[in-house]
Amino acid sequence: MSYIPGQPVTAVVQRVEIHKLRQGENLILGFSIGGGIDQDPSQNPFSEDKTDKGIYVTRVSEGGPAEIAGLQIGDKIMQVNGWDMTMVTHDQARKRLTKRSEEVVRLLVTRQSLQKAVHQSMLS
Amino acid sequence: MQDRLHILEDLNMLYIRQMALSLEDTELQRKLDHEIRMREGACKLLAACSQREQTLEATKSLLVCNSRILSYMGELQRRKEAQVLGKSGRPSDGGRLLAERSPCRGRVCISDLRIPLMWKDTEYFKNKGDLHRWAVFLLLQLGEDIQDTEMILVDRTLTDITFQNHLIFTEAGPDFRLRLELYGACLEEDGALAGAPRRLATKLSSSLGRSSGRRVRASLESAGGSASSPVLLPTPAVGGPRYHLLAHTTLTLAAVQDGFRTHDLTLASHEEHPAWLPLYGSVCCRLVAQPLCMTQPTASGSLRVQQAGERQDWARVHGVLKGTNLLCYRQPEDADAGKEPLFTIAINKDTRVQAGELDQTTGRPFTLSISNRYGEDKVTHTLQAESRGALQSWMEALWQLFFDMSQWKQCCDEIMKIETPAPRKPPQALAKQRSLYHEMAIEPLDDIAAVTDILAQREGVRLETTPPWLAMFADQPALPRPCSPASVAPARTHPPSWGRPRTFSLDAVPPDHSAEAPRLVAPLPPHRSPRSRGLGRKGSPRTWLQSPV
Repeated sequence: MSYIPGQPVTAVVQRVEIHKLRQGENLILGFSIGGGIDQDPSQNPFSEDKTDKGIYVTRVSEGGPAEIAGLQIGDKIMQVNGWDMTMVTHDQARKRLTKRSEEVVRLLVTRQSLQKAVHQSMLS
Repeated sequence: MQDRLHILEDLNMLYIRQMALSLEDTELQRKLDHEIRMREGACKLLAACSQREQTLEATKSLLVCNSRILSYMGELQRRKEAQVLGKSGRPSDGGRLLAERSPCRGRVCISDLRIPLMWKDTEYFKNKGDLHRWAVFLLLQLGEDIQDTEMILVDRTLTDITFQNHLIFTEAGPDFRLRLELYGACLEEDGALAGAPRRLATKLSSSLGRSSGRRVRASLESAGGSASSPVLLPTPAVGGPRYHLLAHTTLTLAAVQDGFRTHDLTLASHEEHPAWLPLYGSVCCRLVAQPLCMTQPTASGSLRVQQAGERQDWARVHGVLKGTNLLCYRQPEDADAGKEPLFTIAINKDTRVQAGELDQTTGRPFTLSISNRYGEDKVTHTLQAESRGALQSWMEALWQLFFDMSQWKQCCDEIMKIETPAPRKPPQALAKQRSLYHEMAIEPLDDIAAVTDILAQREGVRLETTPPWLAMFADQPALPRPCSPASVAPARTHPPSWGRPRTFSLDAVPPDHSAEAPRLVAPLPPHRSPRSRGLGRKGSPRTWLQSPV
């Protein structure tokens, strides 16, 4: 999933719909994110291309809303509720996910296994 | 003049009411009455309120009520015509004729509406020029149903106009046309008058009010039926903000998708127009549709099913046709209790249904077979209905389902979710919305002067002498105290939160401190805690933060 500046990015994505869980005052999704254009991409353990500055899922809480919705560790988040996540800072990404007025977030995520599955089905 | 206008208004209202009564259409009449009363309330509120936000809200309600009344009037006239011409009174309610089939209704939901704006960079980044403000809202119409979004105040600190509303339209057909209209009103900037003494300011604004009010009345007299507000429903002559149509578009079934899409807007105003807002020209939203055939059972009854293949036994089940599946339960009560069905037969656009006698079923009347193709295999289920009438009604239900699937197209592949969000307390739409860029605080660590400033302000009391780490950046002889990570750490234990967010251009090059490198301890202590940010970052960041959400 390397990215050439100026060229459109294509990816095989899966839709994940997460219903936030209310914990007291907060609405939580039950996962952690890493990455961003202001972060060091070479330290990302999940990306295939070590210059990829996208937002990745680094941890999914057991039994949390994200796990129930089918989000997996290592997924790259491409879009949240229509907003792009491939070129955002870490803080912007966190804010996009934790808006208090939204109870459902619809993500588009991509992962290696999806790309491989599509390639294989195209070949066969 | 005012009296004449009032009389005209009353006459019009009377005419409208008479029309509604003559049709004996209680539903439409009730809605019309409701809107007329709402309109009168809005007019009174408009005349009475003094605050600008209230005026805006009241004008908006008035506009919405007017649109609704006009649309009901249109509907009334259509029905009256149809009645006069002798056809049935409600052309939309086509009965289930054998020759004609009408598709099922559905629910259409539009949400997450977002309209990007296109400011000139001098305005946005450098804050040049007066701060103009607009009040905008969207009016959406599907058939007779008109709904509006909240009103949002827009100025050049926003990159997009985002509406938080979830709007649901019931009773939509697959040929629906959802018309979206963006209305905006330019707000006279109080800032321009802020400098002037208070008395002068009030005098100016009130005189403006009177003169623009006079203009409105003059236009009403002369035009006697202007395009936007006909004499039929004259707007009260108050010198308040006026909403203009800024852009519109129409969405149809082709735009429906279980995801976010961008559509083009047709801009209705140009730069010289008083309320012109620099729109990028598109609207992004999530438009989904749920046809009733997908969410509600369309047929149910008792059936005997022969399993495809060898065995000759026919199991008795209670079948429920819902969405793209025929669910077979052991007993009717299981269906109501929500238990899992015994098995499910898929019915989609590739399914073939055939009624009548087949080879395997000689001797058994009233059968129909359902075949599906899974890859290479063809699986056929044969079902037997209880009587000829039952068979007819099952076939009818299946044909209707196929027809609906052909009409609603992509909406029948999978059920699209529509949420009814719990009623929240109304957002403070009147508070200034902050732009995405202002919300994020890019660290000004590249600007060393800023860091020393901020730290000096916060910790100036504690540090008696110049902080030792300053030696890193100043070309001075080393200070007596060695610069060690231990002394740096306390200064950085709590992440500084600066009240004034500063935006730096993304290609700003941070100052290069490589000259100082040999003289001091590594600027980034290798065992730093994950949450602290190192000082004197050279170019690219060295952190890979993780945050829970």
